[in-house]
Amino acid sequence: MTFTTPGANERDERLAVEIAGVRFSNPVMGASGTFGYGLEFSELIDLNRIGGFSTKGLSARPLPGNPPPRIVETHGGMLNAIGLQNIGARAFVEEKLPALRKYDTRIIANVFGYSDEDYIEAIRILNDGNGIDAYELNISCPNVKEGGIVIGGSPSAAARLTEKARRATARPLIVKLSPNVTDIAEMARAIAGAGADSLSLINTLVGMSVDVNTRRPRLNFGTGGLSGPAIRPIAVRMVHEVAKAVDLPLIGIGGIASPMDALEFIIAGATAVQIGTANYYDPRVTEKVVAGLSEYCDRHAVESITSLVGSIIR
Amino acid sequence: MIDTPGIVESNDELTTGYRLLTLRFDQDINARAGQFAMLKASDAYEPLLRRALAVYRAHGPRRLSFLYQVMGRGTEALSHLGGGGRVEALVPLGNSWPVDTLAPGERAVVVAGGIGSASVLMLCEQLARAGVDTHVLFGASSGRVAIGCGLEDFQALGLPLTVTTDDGSLGEKGFVTAPLERMLREERGARSVVYACGPWVMMRRVSEITSAFAARCLVSLEAPMGCGFGVCVGCVVAVNTREPLGYNSYRRVCIDGSIFPAEAVRWDVSAMPH
Repeated sequence: MTFTTPGANERDERLAVEIAGVRFSNPVMGASGTFGYGLEFSELIDLNRIGGFSTKGLSARPLPGNPPPRIVETHGGMLNAIGLQNIGARAFVEEKLPALRKYDTRIIANVFGYSDEDYIEAIRILNDGNGIDAYELNISCPNVKEGGIVIGGSPSAAARLTEKARRATARPLIVKLSPNVTDIAEMARAIAGAGADSLSLINTLVGMSVDVNTRRPRLNFGTGGLSGPAIRPIAVRMVHEVAKAVDLPLIGIGGIASPMDALEFIIAGATAVQIGTANYYDPRVTEKVVAGLSEYCDRHAVESITSLVGSIIR
Repeated sequence: MIDTPGIVESNDELTTGYRLLTLRFDQDINARAGQFAMLKASDAYEPLLRRALAVYRAHGPRRLSFLYQVMGRGTEALSHLGGGGRVEALVPLGNSWPVDTLAPGERAVVVAGGIGSASVLMLCEQLARAGVDTHVLFGASSGRVAIGCGLEDFQALGLPLTVTTDDGSLGEKGFVTAPLERMLREERGARSVVYACGPWVMMRRVSEITSAFAARCLVSLEAPMGCGFGVCVGCVVAVNTREPLGYNSYRRVCIDGSIFPAEAVRWDVSAMPH
């Protein structure tokens, strides 16, 4: 079954949030790299019922990705080293966007490059696409040898790229932060000062798993990005730190699998959340979290979820 | 593809480490031969990810069986399920064995290696129903394992069947690829389509043999899967492309497969853990 009609009367107005002038019907999104190009979920959930989603990282040209094995399950999570296999910005605009525009959901294009120039080229291609609501700069992918985390690990490099991206588009600009840094607040301040409209965090933590029989890393790439519930407390802590450091709307990401998980991030300072790895083992989790947030609002007499943002008491 | 709970009807051990799980659904599934499901015990927090299991048998649209080997944490968790237990299932997934592409006069050879048998029983049923001249080659490490891999179900089909075991405890001693090579050599000229599912090294050898005798060959691959429906891009296999290491060098086993033409697969880049 494919859903195409927005269920306007089923929308819970209490859940609406706004980020950089973009209104989301609720604060629940699919996270980049775990939600494909959105359409893959149209058989499983009503895309009109989630706030939005962030695409698989899009580069100026299609990328093949890393040799297998690319994923390995760990306790409470998994490691991945996909290497940003993607169809490329042009194919996204031409082949995916027309179908996606039929849904009343926010589309965030996640952008990746090996150099500043690659990022800007991808943005220029995506600027031609109607229906993209915001960009998310992926400066935090740990599974490529250039770009990504190399930029995301240096406040000056991240600020420089953010400034260039800011000049390349009028669309809202979200920058996705890496947790693989000593001081995430310093990074957040540098990027905020360079013109970002919003920050999303966290990307995966660099990890490694070894097959003791072969004495080889379980991933062909060697290391991979750790995701899943195991990283959630680190992500909540980082959202809390960044919320204190900058005055930008934040999107919390990291191991969210239930409404209560999402609320932790919101209370710690996130305006919205993205759900990642849980989409794999519970493909309808985004819709379930939206429903759970409404129930929470009922139970706690919350008139607007925005009143909970950063409401942590300590 | 639907995401739906399944209720455990039975979960019986055939021999140590090999089990048959039968699930009942409250929706029609319509699984085709060679398709699979992503399964996880509902109340199990760990491991997180569902496990990809081939649909072994469809007893009507709402009752499916899965034959599996207990190999790691996921299948271990499934093995503890008792009657009435609940499973989260995403099903049916992947492409299916292309049976209707058989030309008149073509013969089918089905090669099952170890628990790879789980992916080909429905194929054999379908070939038998269609009256296709079919020979089954069934390999396992031992006679005991052969029983665990469903040998009796294959015998019940009444198709010509050759059994091999690594230790010689049942049937012919050696690998299942030996009778395949013999068949294709002795019956050179007969047009055969080979369908294979088993360990990576077996399928690689099957691919070499079928290529040498110019027989068409299809393989069903396995890979560790995150999602089973194409979004995680974790389960890829390297395929032959005009431009090595270019875009399209990797295909997803879950959604572009799990069944591929053998000549498409780059057998020098293993996609499987075993």
